[in-house]
Amino acid sequence: MLTVQILIDGFAISALYGLGAVGFTLMFGVCGVLNLAHGATMVVAAVTAWVVAGQYAANPWVAAVAGTAAGVLTAFATYFLVVRPIQRSSSVPAAEREIFVLTGTLLWGVMIQEAVAYFYTDNPKTVRPLIAGVMQIGGVRTPINELVIAVICWAVIGLLWLLVNRSKAGKVLLAASINPRALSILGFELSRVYLLVWTIYGVLAGIAGVLLATFLGASSAQSSQLTASAFSIVVLGGLGSVYGSLLAAYAVGYLETLTAYLISPTYRTVPALVLLVLVVYVRPHGLLGRR
Amino acid sequence: MTDTIRALLTSRSVWIALVVLTVLSTLPWVASAYILGVLTIAYYFGVFAMSWDLLFGFANEVNFGPTFLIGSGAYAAGLLNAHGVPMWVCLIAGGAAALLGGVVLAVPALRLTGPYFGLTTLVAVLLLQQFIIIFASSTGGEIGLTMNDILSTEAITNYWYALGFMTVCGAVLFTLSRSPVGLILQASGQDRIGASALGFNVVKHKLAAFCISAVFSGLAGAMMVFYLGTASVGTVVDVSVGAQVIIAAVLGGRRTIVGAAIGSIFLILAGEALRPLGQLSTFVVSGVALLVILFFVDGLMGLLLRRREEP
Amino acid sequence: MLDRSRMAVHARNGLLSAAAMACFLAGAAQADPKEPIKIGIISEESAIPGAGISKGARLAVDAINAAGGIDGRKLEIVQYDDHSQAADAVRAFQRAVSQDKVVAVIGTYISEIALALQPWAARSHVPFITTGAASNEISKHIHDDYDKNKYTFHEFMASRFIADSVCDSIKQALQPHYSIKTAVVFSEDAAWTAPLDAEYLECLPKIGVKVLDHVRFSADTGDFTPLFNKIEGQKPDVIVTGISHVGVQPTVQWAQQQVPVPMMGYSGQATSGTFWNDTNGAAAGIVTFSVAAAGAELTAKTQPFVNDYIKHFGDAPVLTGFTTYDAVFVLAEAIKRAGSTDADQLVAALEKTDYVGTVGRVQFYGRNNDFTHAMKYGPEFVTGTMLQWQNGKQVILWPRAASQTKIGFPAFTHLQRP
Repeated sequence: MLTVQILIDGFAISALYGLGAVGFTLMFGVCGVLNLAHGATMVVAAVTAWVVAGQYAANPWVAAVAGTAAGVLTAFATYFLVVRPIQRSSSVPAAEREIFVLTGTLLWGVMIQEAVAYFYTDNPKTVRPLIAGVMQIGGVRTPINELVIAVICWAVIGLLWLLVNRSKAGKVLLAASINPRALSILGFELSRVYLLVWTIYGVLAGIAGVLLATFLGASSAQSSQLTASAFSIVVLGGLGSVYGSLLAAYAVGYLETLTAYLISPTYRTVPALVLLVLVVYVRPHGLLGRR
Repeated sequence: MTDTIRALLTSRSVWIALVVLTVLSTLPWVASAYILGVLTIAYYFGVFAMSWDLLFGFANEVNFGPTFLIGSGAYAAGLLNAHGVPMWVCLIAGGAAALLGGVVLAVPALRLTGPYFGLTTLVAVLLLQQFIIIFASSTGGEIGLTMNDILSTEAITNYWYALGFMTVCGAVLFTLSRSPVGLILQASGQDRIGASALGFNVVKHKLAAFCISAVFSGLAGAMMVFYLGTASVGTVVDVSVGAQVIIAAVLGGRRTIVGAAIGSIFLILAGEALRPLGQLSTFVVSGVALLVILFFVDGLMGLLLRRREEP
Repeated sequence: MLDRSRMAVHARNGLLSAAAMACFLAGAAQADPKEPIKIGIISEESAIPGAGISKGARLAVDAINAAGGIDGRKLEIVQYDDHSQAADAVRAFQRAVSQDKVVAVIGTYISEIALALQPWAARSHVPFITTGAASNEISKHIHDDYDKNKYTFHEFMASRFIADSVCDSIKQALQPHYSIKTAVVFSEDAAWTAPLDAEYLECLPKIGVKVLDHVRFSADTGDFTPLFNKIEGQKPDVIVTGISHVGVQPTVQWAQQQVPVPMMGYSGQATSGTFWNDTNGAAAGIVTFSVAAAGAELTAKTQPFVNDYIKHFGDAPVLTGFTTYDAVFVLAEAIKRAGSTDADQLVAALEKTDYVGTVGRVQFYGRNNDFTHAMKYGPEFVTGTMLQWQNGKQVILWPRAASQTKIGFPAFTHLQRP
């Protein structure tokens, strides 16, 4: 019984971690950008879904779409207002560009967080589950919403896989992540590639934020924790590796769940952090990272 | 030695720093206890930022978790004091604890570059935070630790302690940065291979940079908690505090040491001046800082020293 | 070139000195007998309980000024947002005292911040009344070092008394209708819950409830499923809560997972009028302690205050609104009694407080009691209230329930009749 419980609970939360991490790592892999406004983007999506559901009495699915759209808009804002100006700025030395982008997105994330708290307070917001009710799985009572979340996460990841591996745009993306210069020499517009990546990123972060709101709830005060969590998972899996992020998300998700159930809820985060420390010392480029 | 002295005397940064220090020294006679209190915090922040700038300028390492070093020093000092250890011993212990932290950070750092190192430092902060929260019964957890001793109850005395501390640390750090040793470090930071080819022990020098940055950060952290009277995660460990340190250094001007201190003072005064905005003050300060890094990349010192730069 | 930068430096330095002088001069203005009396309010505006502090204070000051002020002098609020940071709160306190010359500071609902401000009240000799923090340590520090810490007053129920209130209310309001013989204590790992839980473990057995387990979870827990599963496995009758940092999340997950054990105790977020919307109705059946609430009728002043608050701000007040409203009146009366705003005289006058407010009859414990300067707990003083969320409204269950009040728990819970 307990085993089934752990398997199911761990699966749902890992899927959610995974979705958030995949967007984050993709952004780094293709654009070289570590977006520290990641958590804030998810929160904007979550809060938008809550506002739309509450004030316009919309059903959860409509609210979810609205939330995802908000995620995409925030991603665009991050790109056009913060990241692109820094990348194109002539006064920033090339070697320090990354640091400036990091600091810039950090500040931008703080601004978003404060703005959300100003208008809506930092109280956690939730959205009604997409499908309410519980069902029995292997003798364990499980909210249907958890299964819906796992299915949606994997469906989205599956679509992403199809996009990257089967479509032309996807192949360009892959190429850009390996050798952007060669790609531009071949005549491809890198700026279009980047736009595509930011759009995908916005969708992924938006969906992750909305699902978080239906499952656990999200508040502006959690912005940095959400970013840190995605960070840790991505470092564990290897920066830039999508498979690595998924693997790491499941590793972390299950480690946390096992600890919470079997040892104690207080020490939930400890094994994952210990694992992270070990990886950083022994294999700093992550489980599946590229050198 | 004479080279170093000559470098100091002809440096414009030094003259700017001296003028500013002179003005700041006159404030106890004209400013209210409140302003002095704000500046006291700003001075400790100045040391945080200067230590960060040293690591950045020397080892070319962007430390995203300066609060790992600051927090280690602060909490080590605080915990000892809570058990009755005298204040001065605690301060030294704080510096030592941070030194240990610096070495611990240096080990992976020397093998990693760029974003990987940055992420490692961030992870270090998260670990420290979790550690403090999990062992809340000894560390005070989210509530924080109340100190038995404090530096002083008088605003003016605290002001002198802080100003003096910042001046001494700043002098040491700045001298280091302009000394031959410092220049070697800068070279190894920017061109590791070239520096090694010239025969300099890059690893040893980077380790030294970490240790120096760590000791000053930890010591300043310890001093600050003895000023405030409490040590808490929100004041010395949280990632947002680390972000403010970095912003202060970037705002002031990277690789100038003096700029970091000026940036901190500016940032903290601006935050206080905007206090009447209430909830939005953080938003506005972050916004201004963002504009600065977008348009005034070399920070305040860059604005002041611009004419001096050779094209 | 040299001159340019020198000029810039001179200009900037001149500006700094001028600013400093201006501030100093402004602060040096003498107190004029007809000058307003300033009160500093430190709160966390982006948090619901924090925002309640400034709103409650605002209403109280408006009411007092409308009635003529204190001996002809009007009250004025100087408002500070501490962004839930102790360092910010300390700076705000310093500014309030030396810059804005307040006679007293009221505020904060975060124990960490109240404890950080306590030594500053002591150093600056300025009365500080916290109207939202619960930690026992606040009054303990006053008891342990009275001469230093006497400037602090704890006008909120201490954790120990919150637990007592929960036990008393379970016994008087719930046990007559339901068989409540076993419980699991469920609280967030924070310093304010340590004394709360300790008291739960003492008072629950006294009302015939056996404590099967004591679950403490990290305050930044997001996923409560393992915890609820563990609790369900032990088959308690009820879950007794001690949560404040979290509230929306565990409640929503409890409802989604249809955990068959009802939750009661203290859920800080559930005391807010917006909780139903925040949880999209998952709050149905949640029982919580609150210092006061709409409909509680703790005193004749409770409901009029609630109506006034709704008229001004749209939502029913959160618990800190009640306590802060009362605190401003308590302070005003103390100033009148003392005939001055001198700190030591104010402290002596505050100690003699005997004020019927919206939360009950406010009196503070004295030097000889362990909880020096905390509010007295008891049926004649302040007991708090117990409420349950039903159909979008907070229904009062204790101490005085309205005659048609029904208690109801969601269909998926399995509480038995006695």
